[in-house]
Amino acid sequence: MIQIKNLVKRYGSLLALDHLNLSIHEGEVFGLLGPNGSGKTTAINCLLALLRYDKGSITVMGEPMGPDSYELKRQIGVVMQDVAVFEQMSVRENVDYFCGLYIRDKARRKELVEDAIQFVGLGEYVKMRPKKLSGGLRRRLNIACGIAHRPRLIIMDEPTVAVDPQSRNKILEGILELNRQGSTIIYTSHYMEEVEQICSQIAIIDHGRVLASGTKEELKDMIRTGETITIEAVALEQEHLDALRALPHVFDVSYKEQILVIRCSRARHNLVSVLHYLEGKDLVFGKVFSELPTLNDVFLEITGKGLRDQQGGDGR
Amino acid sequence: MHLVRYRSIQTVRNWSQMFWALAFPIILGTFFYVSFGSGDMGEEMGPIPVAVVADAGEAADTKAFMDFLEQMDGGVLQVLPMEEEAAREALQGDEIIGIFDCRRAPSLTVAGTGISQSILKSLMDGYDKNAALIASIVRDHPEKIPELSEAAAALGQRQEMTEDVGVKGRTLDTNISYFFALIAYACLAGVFLGTQASLDSQADLSALGARQSVAPVHRLQMILTDLLVLFFIHFGNVLILTCYIRFVLKVDLGGDVPALILVEWMGSMIGISMGILVGRISRLGMSGKMGLCVFLTLFPSFLAGLMFGQMKNVVERHCPIVNRINPAAVLSDALYSISVYNDGERLIRSVAILSIMSVGMVAVAYLAVRRVSYDSI
Repeated sequence: MIQIKNLVKRYGSLLALDHLNLSIHEGEVFGLLGPNGSGKTTAINCLLALLRYDKGSITVMGEPMGPDSYELKRQIGVVMQDVAVFEQMSVRENVDYFCGLYIRDKARRKELVEDAIQFVGLGEYVKMRPKKLSGGLRRRLNIACGIAHRPRLIIMDEPTVAVDPQSRNKILEGILELNRQGSTIIYTSHYMEEVEQICSQIAIIDHGRVLASGTKEELKDMIRTGETITIEAVALEQEHLDALRALPHVFDVSYKEQILVIRCSRARHNLVSVLHYLEGKDLVFGKVFSELPTLNDVFLEITGKGLRDQQGGDGR
Repeated sequence: MHLVRYRSIQTVRNWSQMFWALAFPIILGTFFYVSFGSGDMGEEMGPIPVAVVADAGEAADTKAFMDFLEQMDGGVLQVLPMEEEAAREALQGDEIIGIFDCRRAPSLTVAGTGISQSILKSLMDGYDKNAALIASIVRDHPEKIPELSEAAAALGQRQEMTEDVGVKGRTLDTNISYFFALIAYACLAGVFLGTQASLDSQADLSALGARQSVAPVHRLQMILTDLLVLFFIHFGNVLILTCYIRFVLKVDLGGDVPALILVEWMGSMIGISMGILVGRISRLGMSGKMGLCVFLTLFPSFLAGLMFGQMKNVVERHCPIVNRINPAAVLSDALYSISVYNDGERLIRSVAILSIMSVGMVAVAYLAVRRVSYDSI
């Protein structure tokens, strides 16, 4: 459905997209995962012909995408990162206005508008102006405005930023429902849990390049980490850390502020081995966690830095 | 119709923008009214005192001009025969407004600028034009000399015509230039509406602009819808202001209502067109564009006399081209043409200038955005 080949975009001396390649197929929920400033939104804006690019090609549904590709645009719905609605108009008027840019038939539009409002759960708020809505409800309105015309391709650029958990879950469930109804979804986010939860295909990008792509299982298989063990422990010495590092399948040990983190490759009984060592040395320890690899681990191993490390203290 | 309906709702419900386009000019008009004092508003404009310097043995064309002035005497003019020296002293002493010298080819001398001086100049220009026309007929088409008498009769009836539709007997506010400049300003204030609409459509300035830019609506359709909707809303604003000035403040804006509406129609068009142009082509950000709007309304209006009534005349004396291309001055001039000078030709010229400017601005705006993608958004 979408082919992006060798896309290069510069902002002056800054290289925002560095020969980006993406291939998105019909029916996918395609996640574009990367930290802030990695080039996700720039890629989307180039795809939508909002931004000029320096090199490369973009085809959507087999046709080159340009500013006057009106027939292609008719089949695309966009949910912007910032809430893009008219503050002077009510919830229903906003959805009707944006839907009307795509659907001329009044009766059909009325039906679609009602469906979209119900879909995002704004039925009680149809007469309210956006400024009266909470952040989460505004986000839902933003989504309704982007999807009311039932597009074949929906592009969602970080639609859950600054959204409360209840609204976030509602939004994520809605995205899966849209996909079930036949829409192909491109979903950009720096929240790995969301991408992991809803996306069937994922591309991890940083500095404008695709670092890895595939299903979440394929991505996790690409890395060495099979299990991450985290233990609250006091008074560990360097010799203890060296001994832990020497255990079978352990390839990385760190100890900071009384938190011991041990990374192991895929194997059975990793946790048992570690606890056995600590008990054998009479070392005092508290809470113990064992986690399977996440997309953050994938990102960490590929780039040497964590996704969370770059979000400016984002607590999610 | 969908775009028209919603663009109307978006515009009318945008209170801050409607404040600048409608409420602010009304407040300013009220301020003028209070500042000048309501007593001045209905002041009669009496005949303009002018000296006429003439010799005993007059040439034919001088005789015709003297007859013309004689017919104006007691109406538009108060003709005072004087010697040249005495006339100059009277002019310097502000006893008269101007001197018509009829000893050779008729000429006019004035010592200042203002409505009275402009009226004298208008009369002189009108006479010259008619005299040249008659001379041309005599020279090139002698067979039409019989019809010439009818033309001369028409020239002789000028006072009568002037009494009907022109200055004489009209109730003219001596501070009317401020109200004309205010109406011109109000027309130009459409720039705020036009610019705001453009901001809502540009992907590099707002998320709304980005969302609208990815919709399958042709750019020209979007621009023309903006132009149409905003124009009618703003034209309504200007009509409301005019009614307020005329019926609430009771300031006489002249009796030619259709011509007044025509000028305000074109004025609204130029304001909106300018806003669409500023919104679409300037590379400034949103606040920069709004700042430019303030400049584009106030500075031309200042040059047209909004803050200082004589400013337009000062500009006319030192750099007349500015008055030809300054939309506020052209608007103000058009209003004078219908309310003070009764000069149809001048009115048509002003309306033509405004039309050309409007079409040019919208065309440039469309060409600038028809296939636009941005370097950064």
